[in-house]
Amino acid sequence: KMAAAAAGSLRRAGWRLWRGRAGVRCQLSPPQRPLQASAVLRRVSDEQKKEPLASSSQQQFDSHPTDHQPEQEPQGPRPSYTGQGGQESEDYESEEQLQHRILTAALEFVPEHGWTAEAIAEGAKTLGLSVAAAGMFHSDGSELILHFVSQCNTKLSELLEQEQKLVQLGEAEKKPTDQFLRDAVEARLRMLIPYIEKWPQALSILLLPHNIPSSLNLLTSMIDDIWHYAGDQSTDFNWYTRRAVLTGIYNTTELVMMQDSSPDFEETWRFLENRVADAMNIGNTANQVQSTGEAVVQGLMGAAVTVSSAETSRAVR
Amino acid sequence: MEVAAALAPAVRRSLGQCRPLSCGAGLRGRWPLPPAFAGGVSLRLCSTRVALEDINKPVIDRIIRVDHAGEYGANRIYAGQMAVLGRSSVGPIIQQMWNQEKDHLKKFNELMVAYRVRPTVLLPFWNVAGFVLGAGSALLGKKGAMACTVAVEESISDHYNSQIRTLMEEDPDKYKELLQVIKQFRDDEREHHDIGLEHDAEAAPAYSVLKTAIQLGCKAAIFLSERI
Repeated sequence: KMAAAAAGSLRRAGWRLWRGRAGVRCQLSPPQRPLQASAVLRRVSDEQKKEPLASSSQQQFDSHPTDHQPEQEPQGPRPSYTGQGGQESEDYESEEQLQHRILTAALEFVPEHGWTAEAIAEGAKTLGLSVAAAGMFHSDGSELILHFVSQCNTKLSELLEQEQKLVQLGEAEKKPTDQFLRDAVEARLRMLIPYIEKWPQALSILLLPHNIPSSLNLLTSMIDDIWHYAGDQSTDFNWYTRRAVLTGIYNTTELVMMQDSSPDFEETWRFLENRVADAMNIGNTANQVQSTGEAVVQGLMGAAVTVSSAETSRAVR
Repeated sequence: MEVAAALAPAVRRSLGQCRPLSCGAGLRGRWPLPPAFAGGVSLRLCSTRVALEDINKPVIDRIIRVDHAGEYGANRIYAGQMAVLGRSSVGPIIQQMWNQEKDHLKKFNELMVAYRVRPTVLLPFWNVAGFVLGAGSALLGKKGAMACTVAVEESISDHYNSQIRTLMEEDPDKYKELLQVIKQFRDDEREHHDIGLEHDAEAAPAYSVLKTAIQLGCKAAIFLSERI
């Protein structure tokens, strides 16, 4: 009877994951096999924990090894399967959040195993899940890297937001733009330090064609965030110029950091300082060029007027 | 596709919330004027607090981007017309309409900053194209300039109307301020259109051809500015 219930719940669970999956807005196109795999590994992990198969399949399915829905009661009948909307969205959250948790746990093993499926498998193990969990992800470790980058960007945004709050409350001085950009880029790059050995590998994976849309997206939104908190309010072509310049600064500094062996990456921060100073100078130079150009034009106009009036007066005579 | 960028807010979001993800970075508040960089534009403080996580960002993005481009283009068109007809009898009228467009542009600049919308990359192009259109139509005479005004303003007010419809379908309450702005501007553009008609736009040389051509150009501009 338990086996029948198990089989039935697995069938239904697989289908519900399917439905939930259909509603998921683009995960990074995982193959379909892992859907069942994740259902299977949940059952495996539940069996490992010797949780009794309850009469209702839903709660079996919804309860995780580390239950993040503490209000849920382990016993008692849950709403029937026909209450689909709420059930499905819970599953939708669980699926994505399960992946987040696995990837976050996997980061610990990156310095040792690199950005690979091994690291993900190790991460899954620490959560008490089966090693097969790594099957949920691409074998080249793309999702792990993108997850890490996304996490770093979020941390940076929070950091910048807190700084902004302090300035608004008057508890901190507003930094000049070049200082702000330097500090923001440095803060973001410092998040790479624990993984610096394996970061070149990550960069090359991020440049793979199928990863470029996502990695470009993450990069542009990070740069936009930095400028936003730096106080950029441009609504003309400057919007693009500034972001392009900062992207260049960030990327080159990142590359320098890969090669840097100085204590606490001093060389990198000095490089960064010089690049930001250059960028500031470009701005000033552009202004200077423009005003010089205007002065030249006015000079020429004046000369033309003088010559033409000289001609006219000569003609009159 | 904002897959990976969408992961970030998902991580931040609390449990049990299953809402469309946006790529805004939290609530916006007042912020002081930025120090100059490359001759940056200094603007008035934007005092509207916009919760970027509630709104349908892609739709609002497009709306604000294309409207900003439109007002920018209209500014340049009137600038072109003034360059040619500034000293004629219609000069003051064009100047007045131009001033209103300047106000519109200023408002959209503010909205663009508040909603963190990227401007269209074609702005330099609209800069030149608008001026050329304005000057070119003015060289056809005062009636030509008025015909251009009529064509452009008709396009713009139709376009604003469809935006109003979109926003009403989405959620009239959430977008109340934006709706108000667009409605006001639509009425202003309508007024310009009527002024153009009053000043014998229809008597312009090749009026229907001119009007169709300009409106086709406006449609193309709107299509491109929404996306690029």
